[in-house]
Amino acid sequence: MSRLTNPHIAEMTGLASLPRSSGELVFHDPWERRVFALAVSLCDQGYYQWDEFRDYLIAEIVTAEKAAGPNADLASLPSYYESWLAAFEKLLAKKGMTLA
Amino acid sequence: MSTEHDHDHSRHTAGPDPRTVKHHTQEQTQVLEDRVKKLEALLVAKGLVSSVTLDKMADIYEHDLGPMNGARVVARAWVDPAYKSRLLTNATAAIGELGFGGLQGEHLVVVENTPKVHNVVVCTLCSCYPWPVLGLPPTWYKSAPYRSRVVIDPRSVLQEFGLNLGESVEIRVWDSSAELRYMVLPERPVGTERLDEEELAKLVSRDAMVGVAKA
Repeated sequence: MSRLTNPHIAEMTGLASLPRSSGELVFHDPWERRVFALAVSLCDQGYYQWDEFRDYLIAEIVTAEKAAGPNADLASLPSYYESWLAAFEKLLAKKGMTLA
Repeated sequence: MSTEHDHDHSRHTAGPDPRTVKHHTQEQTQVLEDRVKKLEALLVAKGLVSSVTLDKMADIYEHDLGPMNGARVVARAWVDPAYKSRLLTNATAAIGELGFGGLQGEHLVVVENTPKVHNVVVCTLCSCYPWPVLGLPPTWYKSAPYRSRVVIDPRSVLQEFGLNLGESVEIRVWDSSAELRYMVLPERPVGTERLDEEELAKLVSRDAMVGVAKA
């Protein structure tokens, strides 16, 4: 029973858990699939451990929730993959892979 | 038999994950898309990713959530009677002990096969499935013939899967719902006393945990 996926990614729990519907990953827009693939690919190649990315992702989600306050409308918060994108940008910057 | 379209889906599917329902305006989507394109261009230019790999990556994750977690749960229950007892009383918690979860309000229930009782799982109305432990359901699980016939004549359906149960074995059919997702704890095969937990997990098939096969 071999599998191609990294269980550290596929089975994240809590805030970082991948949005799923009956187990299937949910992507709405093509950019979400793309940024998912980018973060996973670089981890696969050993540029970082998945936990490192996951910590950035959780930090993004928590920061946004705190900034919005306890009564914030869910719709005003960044979506899961918006947080993912922001986390990925920050992690790349930290690794010295910036757009500049 | 009803079709996929005329039953109450709200009872069978947990609500959409609120983190995914956000609707961006076209302008917002464009901005996000541009940010991702810039990153991709940068990483492609540095030779760190290829567009071909990227195309496949999300697909792999979408379709490769497998039944390994369930197999590990079963193997643990076979070697650890205290764990097995917790699993049969509160499966959601016991499965959580091994680090598997991700359910949104559904509960897992594990039913145990014995020499006298064989359990089989179905979702008669759609395709509710214990995905945190078994991954994505096979096509036959979602097919109308399986969903209708396994309830009426489980013995024949199991025979078609190659599983011949003696007349004395009671067959129990468990109908899944949004709230309750069933998984079968198969019997430990004879002659496996010397195997350790990891080796045992390799023996446990998806079909055995749905109840259409023996482990």
